[in-house]
Amino acid sequence: MAAGAVTPIGGDLDAFWSGLVTGSDGITRIERFPVDGLRVGRGGEIKKLRAGRPPGPGCRATQLLFAAADDLLARAPLDAPAERVALAIGTALGGVEELERALAPGGTLRQAAGGLYDAPTHALARRLGARGPSLTVSTACASGATALGLAADLLREGAADCVVAGGYDILCRFVMRGFDALRSLTRERVRPFDRRRSGLLLGEAAALVLMTRERDARGPRLGRLLGHASASDGSHLTAPAPDGRGLEFAVRGAMAEAGVAATDVDFVSAHGTATPLNDRVETQVLQRALGPRAAALPMNSIKGGLGHTMGAAATLEAIMCLLAAREGVVPHTVGLEERDPECDLDYVAGAPRAVRPRVSLSTSLGFGGCNAALVLEGAGG
Amino acid sequence: MRGAAVAGVGLLTGWGEGAAALPADARAAARGRRVVTLARPALAGERFRRATRECLLGVAAVEALLRDAGLARATLRGSDTALLYVTAGGYGASNVEFATGETGTGGALHFPYTAPSAVPGEVAIEFGLTGAYSILIGGATATLDALWQAARLLAAGRSRRALVLAVETFAECEALWTRARWLAGRPLVETAACALLVPSDAATSLQPSRAPAELEALARARGGEALAAGPLVALALARAAGRAGVLTLTGEWRGRRAGLTLEAH
Repeated sequence: MAAGAVTPIGGDLDAFWSGLVTGSDGITRIERFPVDGLRVGRGGEIKKLRAGRPPGPGCRATQLLFAAADDLLARAPLDAPAERVALAIGTALGGVEELERALAPGGTLRQAAGGLYDAPTHALARRLGARGPSLTVSTACASGATALGLAADLLREGAADCVVAGGYDILCRFVMRGFDALRSLTRERVRPFDRRRSGLLLGEAAALVLMTRERDARGPRLGRLLGHASASDGSHLTAPAPDGRGLEFAVRGAMAEAGVAATDVDFVSAHGTATPLNDRVETQVLQRALGPRAAALPMNSIKGGLGHTMGAAATLEAIMCLLAAREGVVPHTVGLEERDPECDLDYVAGAPRAVRPRVSLSTSLGFGGCNAALVLEGAGG
Repeated sequence: MRGAAVAGVGLLTGWGEGAAALPADARAAARGRRVVTLARPALAGERFRRATRECLLGVAAVEALLRDAGLARATLRGSDTALLYVTAGGYGASNVEFATGETGTGGALHFPYTAPSAVPGEVAIEFGLTGAYSILIGGATATLDALWQAARLLAAGRSRRALVLAVETFAECEALWTRARWLAGRPLVETAACALLVPSDAATSLQPSRAPAELEALARARGGEALAAGPLVALALARAAGRAGVLTLTGEWRGRRAGLTLEAH
């Protein structure tokens, strides 16, 4: 597995990692579109995209995806016939900003077609010349994890030899209005697992990994995806099930597929949105699924500095797990200062920690009762 | 890969319920209509008051499946049943309504219903589904991918049953869809369809395909353009005709053509 990314705290993979370990804050006043009339006008906005190859269409979602792909391919070229290269791309919003443009005066049919949620995936397939299966996954904010899982399945069953997988989403007025109306956005700092946490802020990003079967891997590798699972809550459209049943099913399923026990897990990358309910439910699920091991593990959430990057979030978090294994450092939970007695696990506060996690667990949740978990093994330093 | 067999199909289209309602020639039966619409199902319950038409169609399709297969609701409940949802544009109506709501030309739709996950979310809540879960966006090939994924979950023992659901609505975005001729054929027929898969010893494989199989051509001729629901219309037709043994499903979307083999009970 190799990786590429574009994020509010860094325009490529190296800058992303550097931003994580230095505790960079990517939350700023949103400038790209009007935020008037909204309660909250801040988020993890990418101010400038690096100039690389021509960006292609004007759709920002596609531009972010292309930027992450350029970063990825600079590190690990595609090494398979076009028909054997597949895509598995997660998104919560697709190209919805194009739909907004299409509906505005002067809007075009091209913009309307770009508003289909799978349009950016197909634009990326054309850009890469990939002619294998091209999957767009939309399990809301768990999309980036589900996509990696589906990519592993495509490889395992021989449907492809090489999969570009990951997730993306952009900040746009459509999504800002939606979360603003739900009162999910905080006017304060994002504080995952903190006693004073009061909600999330959104961010935009794209993150991709290049996945191959172990025997086909060439060059330096970040690590392996050992197991994955997804589950539905069947409980509520926007809130996690109070008992966390879907997330627990996903965590146990991913660990079973990976063949790891709780005692094998060295680190947990939590979804950690900083909403009061999410962080409490997630803590309880980890305590049940990992037993006594949960209290002994370092865990974190990287949404404090990035914002919640929706479809990109789980892929960024998976990449962070593998980079932590390579670098021997676990980034801290930006924004966490005062422990919440109801979130009494070791959510690495204050500063990065020198530890080299071999096996990591990453958890994700999303609207529609979506839950996903990944178990990853770092290649080590 | 060890495969999957079809244990039931639910089909609601603009033509009516089930394969028997499909005309012999959809194009002729449309009589010039560009979109053949499905009415909002009248489902009882406070929870459905705010739900979108697509959500209710998803729930109604699963109820149709239970009738078709003679199964009780309790059969689906719990973590043994996987839910895989597919749509090419079933979120279009809610997205347009929310996007235009701000300017006063649309309604004040509740934001969470703009997410594609709203449809399977409502289905999962209604039927108590808490098993494996995935949502794919795209046309017929995405449904073949979902059927393949369902077979994989069954083969791996991760699920004992898998419900593959597709909902496509067009009426609210008719102007957009009817101009997008390179994406969709005619007539556009609103469809909510699902199939219940169970483990089987027959092999299931997903491969590129060069030409439409017989069932794809039949489903298109009789059902019209149903995008992601197309392969499930084909399954309904095969089941109604009493076809047993291995079926070949094919589909095309955005230049990719794929084929899948499944067993019919």
